[in-house]
Amino acid sequence: MSTITEINPVFVLHSIKNVSIENREVPKLRDQHDVRVHIEQTGICGSDVHYWQRGRIGDFILNSPIVLGHESSGTIVEVGSAVQNVKVGDRVAIEPGVPCRRCDFCREGAYNLCADTVFAATPPWDGTLQKYYIVASDYCYPIPSHMSSEDGAMVEPTAVAVQICKVADLRANQTVIVFGCGPIGALCQAMAKVYGAKKVIGVDISKSRTDFAKKYAADGVFVPEIAPAGADPVDASRAIGEKIIAQFGLGGGADVILECTGAEPCIQAGVFAAKKEGTYVQAGMGKENVVFPIMMACIRALNIKGSIRYTAGCYPASVDLVASGKIDAKALITHRFKFEEAEQAFELVKKGQEDVFKVVIQGVQ
Amino acid sequence: MATDTEFGDLSNLSFVLNKPSDVTFETKPKPTIQSPYDVLVKVNYTGICGSDVHYWVHGAIGDFVVKDPMVLGHESSGTVLKVGDKVASVKVGDRVALEPGTPCRRCTPCLSGHYNLCNEMKFAATPPYDGTLTGLWCSPEDFCYKLPEHVSLEEGALVEPLAVAVHIVKQAEVKPGQTVVVMGAGPVGLLCCAVAKAYGASKIVSVDIQPSRLEFNETFAATHTFTPERVSAEENAARLLKETDMPGGADAVIDASGAEPSIQTSIHVVRRGGIYVQGGMGKPDITFPIVALCVKEVTCKGSFRYSSGDYKLAVELVASGKVDVNKLITGKVKFEDAEQAFSDVKAGKGIKILIKGPNEKET
Repeated sequence: MSTITEINPVFVLHSIKNVSIENREVPKLRDQHDVRVHIEQTGICGSDVHYWQRGRIGDFILNSPIVLGHESSGTIVEVGSAVQNVKVGDRVAIEPGVPCRRCDFCREGAYNLCADTVFAATPPWDGTLQKYYIVASDYCYPIPSHMSSEDGAMVEPTAVAVQICKVADLRANQTVIVFGCGPIGALCQAMAKVYGAKKVIGVDISKSRTDFAKKYAADGVFVPEIAPAGADPVDASRAIGEKIIAQFGLGGGADVILECTGAEPCIQAGVFAAKKEGTYVQAGMGKENVVFPIMMACIRALNIKGSIRYTAGCYPASVDLVASGKIDAKALITHRFKFEEAEQAFELVKKGQEDVFKVVIQGVQ
Repeated sequence: MATDTEFGDLSNLSFVLNKPSDVTFETKPKPTIQSPYDVLVKVNYTGICGSDVHYWVHGAIGDFVVKDPMVLGHESSGTVLKVGDKVASVKVGDRVALEPGTPCRRCTPCLSGHYNLCNEMKFAATPPYDGTLTGLWCSPEDFCYKLPEHVSLEEGALVEPLAVAVHIVKQAEVKPGQTVVVMGAGPVGLLCCAVAKAYGASKIVSVDIQPSRLEFNETFAATHTFTPERVSAEENAARLLKETDMPGGADAVIDASGAEPSIQTSIHVVRRGGIYVQGGMGKPDITFPIVALCVKEVTCKGSFRYSSGDYKLAVELVASGKVDVNKLITGKVKFEDAEQAFSDVKAGKGIKILIKGPNEKET
């Protein structure tokens, strides 16, 4: 037994815009199904930044300090007595939201909708930007040895993209427009190609992001022009939607729209760019209430669905997609920081520079 | 922890299958609350299922083999005696229908909404797990369904087979105005007809070789009945469709018999593009009209037990009066007479016989 008591450094959000690193006790397993993971890499998500800056997302409100971070990979260092799927020493990608397993949503397979989910870095639950993290073993997925810890940390956003495509019920040979060429948009474009899409178009107001998307996975990209002052915004969005259809030869419209920005003009343009009976999936989060072209959605019999987090099968699929190279996760990481530099990493993401894509923070060594 | 002293006035006499045709009554240790989500229940009524009888006669169903003595029974209702700290949906004194299978909640089938297919399912009276023909039973809260005041405990014991029927009809995707044929008019077949009716089916054809069962179903849920003859499946199918005026075939056909001729007839009865659901269990391997399935683009699905939402819907169907399960109860016997009840079920007597729990007072 070590004579030095081990500590667990954590990166904690105390209150809005107030973060620091502090030392806590090493967390203990809660039951025989738990494992303790030594975190190796953590990606930063827009939601982490949002809690830091605004202290809330919807009804999730920061009322007490929380450790940030939820896109992580690490190595198992301790297992509960009933754990069978992983062992000490295994390197894993962590699925950060563990549901209650008992409510109607859990029982019907929609565990992403469980109201009692313990989700890392969603208040009031602590996240993964700490040396050690405790999680149920079935929410840890072993990664093969050729996958780096950074790849492992990219499994989470990849799983988000997998779920978006699952909700969209993508089929081979479809035409797909993805609004947003940030990490999620880029991953959705890559996933659509994996599904065998005939044509994938990426849309973003940032030319440099669309340049990246064209190299990454998209067959074509589109940078909408800003509407002239005084123009009716919905008419302007309609014009954008129709221009995309014309420019890329999409006939009556795209089979599938994946909306990964949450930006009102993109939401509107997406509705106008869909074909009759097309599928529109809302994945991006922006303004809570937007002006929505509901009449168009009705007349064209669109199939409109929301997508949130991930469900059973998304994580194993994501590990496989990254491990096999079908999804190039590493290409999305542009900046790397040590654990002690976590606040700087967050500051960088907050700036929203075009050339900053996925930022990862190394775990405590 | 007080085990036998708590609820000391209650008996935990249990009906135990030792090996085929060898059943005994034994007092077993009383179960206790193990987790804050547990509910401890006094068993009031238990219905007998064909599977219970099958284990009693053969000692096995497929790969499930009775190796050690096992308590029988799984179709039960009860009264809540004690609840764990986190239980909110039921309280002491509530009457409940019991869902007898507890899944692991962690395997892929469980997490993807198919807990009936759980890799580690612990199902009452499927070896090696004890069943509900006993005094006290411990259940997780989410597998215990409160019965409304006007629903009796006897009706509560019918919720299990009704949930089986609900699951089958959901698999069959029955929609209002559709035509449905159900092969077999045993309890599950009868209840499938009743659920199909609740789902708005316009024609419900009940098929059986026993005239008394068909006669019963005429006043229970079927719109038409049919007795097959010893002719080919195609000939039986043709006559059925003619007599029920379904020239194109039925939208959905459900097999609740497991009988090879019924399964064959089903594929010739279902319409092109229709759905066929295998609910009944008989011979494991049969001669199947596979070319007809292919050419007619039939969707064929299995149905096993019940999963999310089925029990809740079953309770609702009883509570709202849409399915009158009372009509299926043809006998109620004392716990001590359980073996005779099993013999009667095996001999095909009645429809559903209920065995009172060992703590039921004689009125």
